[in-house]
Amino acid sequence: MKALKGVMPTLAASTIMLGLAPAAQAELAAVGNPRPAVILYGPTNDGGWSQSIDEARQLLEETLGTRIAQAAEIPETATAIRPAAELFIERGANIIIGSAFGYSDTFAELAAEFPQIMFFNPAGTTNAQNLQSVYGRTYETHYLCGMVAGGLTESGRIGFVAANPFGLVNWTVNAYLLGARQINPDVELSVVFTGSWGDPVRERAATQALIEQGADVIGQHVDTPTPQIVAAEAGIFATGHHRDLSEFSAATQCSSVWTWDLYLGSAIEAVSAGTFEPAPYGAFLSIADGAVDVACCGPAVPDDLAARVMEAREAIIGGMHVFAGPLYDRDGTLRVAEGAVLDDGALWGMDWFVAGVTGQ
Amino acid sequence: MIDLMGFWLISLPGFAVPFALAAIGLILCERAGVLNLGAEGFMLMGALAGVGLTLNGTGAPVALMGGALAGVALSFVFALLAVGMRVNHVIAGLSMVFLAQALTSYIATSQRWTNNAFEGLRPVLYGQDAMVFLTPVLVLAVTWLLFHTRFGLALRAVGENPAAADAAGIDVTTMRFAAVLLGGALVGLAGAYLTVAVTQVWVDNVVGGRGWIAIALVIFARWYPWRALAGAVLFGGIEALIPRISAAGFDVPRYLMQATPYLATLGVMIWTAWRRPTSSAQPAALGRHHVREARG
Repeated sequence: MKALKGVMPTLAASTIMLGLAPAAQAELAAVGNPRPAVILYGPTNDGGWSQSIDEARQLLEETLGTRIAQAAEIPETATAIRPAAELFIERGANIIIGSAFGYSDTFAELAAEFPQIMFFNPAGTTNAQNLQSVYGRTYETHYLCGMVAGGLTESGRIGFVAANPFGLVNWTVNAYLLGARQINPDVELSVVFTGSWGDPVRERAATQALIEQGADVIGQHVDTPTPQIVAAEAGIFATGHHRDLSEFSAATQCSSVWTWDLYLGSAIEAVSAGTFEPAPYGAFLSIADGAVDVACCGPAVPDDLAARVMEAREAIIGGMHVFAGPLYDRDGTLRVAEGAVLDDGALWGMDWFVAGVTGQ
Repeated sequence: MIDLMGFWLISLPGFAVPFALAAIGLILCERAGVLNLGAEGFMLMGALAGVGLTLNGTGAPVALMGGALAGVALSFVFALLAVGMRVNHVIAGLSMVFLAQALTSYIATSQRWTNNAFEGLRPVLYGQDAMVFLTPVLVLAVTWLLFHTRFGLALRAVGENPAAADAAGIDVTTMRFAAVLLGGALVGLAGAYLTVAVTQVWVDNVVGGRGWIAIALVIFARWYPWRALAGAVLFGGIEALIPRISAAGFDVPRYLMQATPYLATLGVMIWTAWRRPTSSAQPAALGRHHVREARG
């Protein structure tokens, strides 16, 4: 026992040295020969998040000229993620692309275990020398779709169906109203949170409740196209999220869409060239970086409005920030001072709504 | 405010019907002594059958009946396990949920039914569809069956004391099979209503935990069909109220409201435990297998 006590720390120390030292300088296996594989959280035809990544996979197959393997409907548990990732690595994949917030911890473990493999994880939160979490600045695109909503509303009241109230959802709600007010300064926005990412029963009830309260354009940040479908039934307009939802509904006039092929394409190229430098706090991508964009505009949008939306898109690409001061929340507190813009930390922690937003 | 109340009342039945149908289906099954935790799975099967049939143009009534049949099909598997092979009821029920989640997701994905909107069941009177009017009739029918027929007496005897029922000449296995299949039809119908009348679209896991709420509702109702209907109106009423209050801009504690049905169920459980045993209608042999040779 005494002898063991002496050995243990030495063993531990040498393991740490063995484990860490090569990881820091490991040559990525993808240099010169990128072989990506994709692990999807949902089914490839979910109409939203997972499908947007699978569509990027197919586009990348063409640009890279190689087949990219895919595993769909892998739940957010280590016991499901690990076998999929390890099988891909065993078969020669050297870039693993995930697709879920819930993959974050397992991907961090895998990245430490396989220092020669590059990992990307859209919606993830963990990062390392060979692991890059990625998300889009969706407030930019929702600002643009909000402009469309502001131009189309006749009642001056727009509705928004959202999943759960936290930073990356709240910023889409706020940006949506800020965009709408660029076109119609008197617009008010009601938001209903369903408490779920994909519950069509609640999404339908929320959309109907908003329409009953006089909303005549509906925005959404949930995963199913239900709000678009209900809007079409009521003969009003709506704007979508994740993908161009006009595929499912005639009501859809604008959508915030993922363009993962553009980001992943250039990132994989950089990995292959050996020049990829991961952002230590995750890559937080703007329209200019090509992970997020708008599909705009539908047939109900007048040409001059569409032109203003595209102008604003150019301005955002040129560096305009949606959350530029002075900006007050609905309780009257100054959140962004004159001449300042909201920094990324404050965006992720956004727990307030701009004046004009009702509902919790 | 009056408007809000009106819209709330109009939307309420659509939320209450799936809870009520699923709960009376579970009551039928559990009154015979078979603990059924598979409601979420039966509802998913019914919901998928409803979507598949409607998308293939059968019309809503046939789609609803197909949903009930899908419920029967999965409950047959459940009955084989839980009654025929005497697998632990809890494990058999839970495995039905996992089986249905995987199976429905696979079928919907391969058939490309996901996210395809369709026109489902339409309102006939006062903004309500036919199932809203049929549901109280079905509750009445289940009550009559359970408490006013020989079949119901035998079914309840099997759930209370299978050995005595067996001695009285009732075939316990057949009785339990019948109860599981009949109950499965109603739970499947509840799932079909959810997609054919409420969502009018399929996404994976569309039932969204409502099968579990139905199980809570059965405990809340102490295995009485009429109380289950009342509970369904209460639970459905809360679900219909939350988004409306939110959209109208009232500042209410949303998470507390969403917890209300469960708090009510807890309250009923505590209350009945306190007043035990006179008021509890929980079948005495719930979850217990009957083996003729074994004493117990």
